[in-house]
Parts: sequence; structure tokens; C-alpha cells
Amino acid sequence: MDNNLDASVSSAARADETGYSSEIAQGIADTCADAGISLVASLPDDWIAYTISKFELDERFNHVPVNREESALGLCSGAFLAGTGSAALMGASGLMTLIYGITKINYTYEIPIYFLITHRGTFDDGAKFHVSNGLYLEDVMQSINMPYTIVNSRDEMPMIAEAYHHSRKISRPTVAVLPKKLLKGTV
Amino acid sequence: MKYEEAVAYIASRWQDELVVTSAGTTSELWHAETGDTERVFYLEASMSLSSVFACGIAQGVPDKPVWVFSGDGAFCMNPGMLQVERQMNLPNLKHFMLSNRVYGSTSNVPLPGRVDNDYAAIARGFGIERVYSFGSMNELQGTFEEAVLEPGHTFIHLEVEPMNYRGASPPMDGPEVKFRFGRYVERVTGNQVFSAPLDHD
Repeated sequence: MDNNLDASVSSAARADETGYSSEIAQGIADTCADAGISLVASLPDDWIAYTISKFELDERFNHVPVNREESALGLCSGAFLAGTGSAALMGASGLMTLIYGITKINYTYEIPIYFLITHRGTFDDGAKFHVSNGLYLEDVMQSINMPYTIVNSRDEMPMIAEAYHHSRKISRPTVAVLPKKLLKGTV
Repeated sequence: MKYEEAVAYIASRWQDELVVTSAGTTSELWHAETGDTERVFYLEASMSLSSVFACGIAQGVPDKPVWVFSGDGAFCMNPGMLQVERQMNLPNLKHFMLSNRVYGSTSNVPLPGRVDNDYAAIARGFGIERVYSFGSMNELQGTFEEAVLEPGHTFIHLEVEPMNYRGASPPMDGPEVKFRFGRYVERVTGNQVFSAPLDHD
């Protein structure tokens, strides 16, 4: 059986075949490292397979694949209390499962957490079963007053760091949303 | 084994470990036993997240032992937490799982699978190497030093009786718990918890 590093190399090769951008994935990792993030907890989504492999293979990060999105929330929230900068990387569907955890832990205790998520449900999303996220994702984030930014092009990638720092300023969660076109490197 | 006796004994052995408690009863009992408001993060009603929360703390303070409590109600909501624990394999983490086969913080409503759940077997099944299961105070006291005080990520299953307990919650709102605990971590480890570098413009 492959170890995590070998499995990540295979996953990156698959992401390359399906048209996702190594350069953008690397840019996301570099931006996170420069922002002070050293722990990344992730759940997969096809769109961010390359990004996950970059975090796994990069010695600047302690990358922890987790069993479900709530575990990413718990891990990153605890990491804050040890002074570790962290990011929870997941698909939009994963974020939709987290409302209880966010309001119970991050709002009750005012613990910042930073989410990097895919912008599922957009017109270019080929996965029919993610349509409901397109209908409700932004409404859900707005309904709990969770600040988010959509990173629409590579020129806007510094927003990834700004959104992270903003979570620390306001002691609440923030979200950077990664569109498919960005992750494919076409914008 | 009586729930309150197990918690009281563990509290009596407490030295300088950081502690994360779980829903309701554990938080209330630990606060009643210790009165501590600095070295304990009273994580109320996280519905299974206490051990991964503690992993987040433990990975950032590798020289500091971290004790975390969970109950079997929470455990059953997210047994995959053990995958994360196993993968991180933090030598400074000790996970106490109190099993009373009921949802103890909500009027002892019975847990599904309450008769058959073998929590130590589940932990071993996830590959955790140091697994202990104690059903009596004699067992807990007799093996405490090996199980708890020796280094190595450890899962400790404590089979306890349901109890009818409704104590007071620790008298702090969430942000006070955060600041007291975080300031303590800053003081004893030198880590900067609340000092994220920010621009001033």
C-alpha cells in the first residue's frame, strides 16, 4: 500500500490529467505559508485534489487528512489555542455540514477558523448533485454572518491571505471560496 | 465503576497537563473537583469534537501533556476521530473515553448499540497501539501510571455506571474560557496564541 506521500503524487498526476492547475495549487500553498498557516486539515473534492497534494508534499505544512469536515473544524479550532495558524480545506458540500460546529465552537468561544472551500454549484460545475450547493451555499454563509470572499482570478489570490488574517482580527470564521476556473488556471 | 469516582481519581492525579473536557457531566464534574479556570478548556456540547480539538492543541505544544475526555455518546457520533488521532499519533495526547452506555447529559437516554459496542476493540481496529480498558477503580488505579503517565498516544476506555447528576456548568462564558486557557498556554509554552501579526492601517 502506498504511503501518504506516494498516494499524493498519484493523486496530483490524476488532477493534472483532469485539467487542474499545478501552478494555482502551488500559489495557494505559497500564499497560505506566507500568511502563517502551518497546519492544514483537508477533506477531498476533485477540484482541490492538486491543492491537497501540494500541502501533503510541502514540508512547510503539517497536512492532516481528516475523516470528516467536523474533525477539520475541531482540529483547527484546537490548533488556534496552541498558537498554530491553520486552514480547513474542503468542498462546498463539506462546509454545508458544519453549521452546528461553527456556531457551537467558533461562535460560542469566539475561536477563529479559516476555511478554504470550492465554489460548487456554479454554471461550470459538471456534477449535477452539487446544484443544491449552488442554490444555497452563499445564502447559508450569509445567514450566519460568516464573512467570505470569492477568489475569482489569480490576480485575487492575495485575498486568500487577507481572509485568513481577517478571521484572526474578528475572532470568527472566514471563508475563501475557490472557483473551478481559478483551480483550472483559466482566469 | 462509578462515574464520579473515576473523574475524582483522575483529577487527584492531575499535575501540569492541559485538559479538555466534553459535554455536560465531565465538564461539570471536573470543575466541581478542581475549580480550575485556566488549565482546562471546558468544551461543552461539541458533539464528538473534543478529541480532535485536543489534537489541535497537542500538536502545537509537544512538550506539554494533554488529557481529553469524551463520552460514548459523542464517540459514537464520530468514531472516525480515532483515524485522525492514529494518523497524528501525538505522544503527548491521552484520550479518556467514559462509557456509560447512555446519553448522560440528556437524562440518560439509552445509546444505540449500547450492549454490544466494544470501544477498546474499535480503537485497536483503527490501529491505535496503546489501548486500555478499565471497568473498576482497582484496575484504573493499578494501571494509571503505565496508561496515563508514560509517553505515547493512548486511548483509555473507562466503563462507568450512569449517574443522575446535574451540576452547575463552569461559571464562564465561551470567550472567558478561551482567554483564560489561551493566556495560560502562552505563559507556560511561550507560544503566541492571541498575537497574530496585523497591519495597523
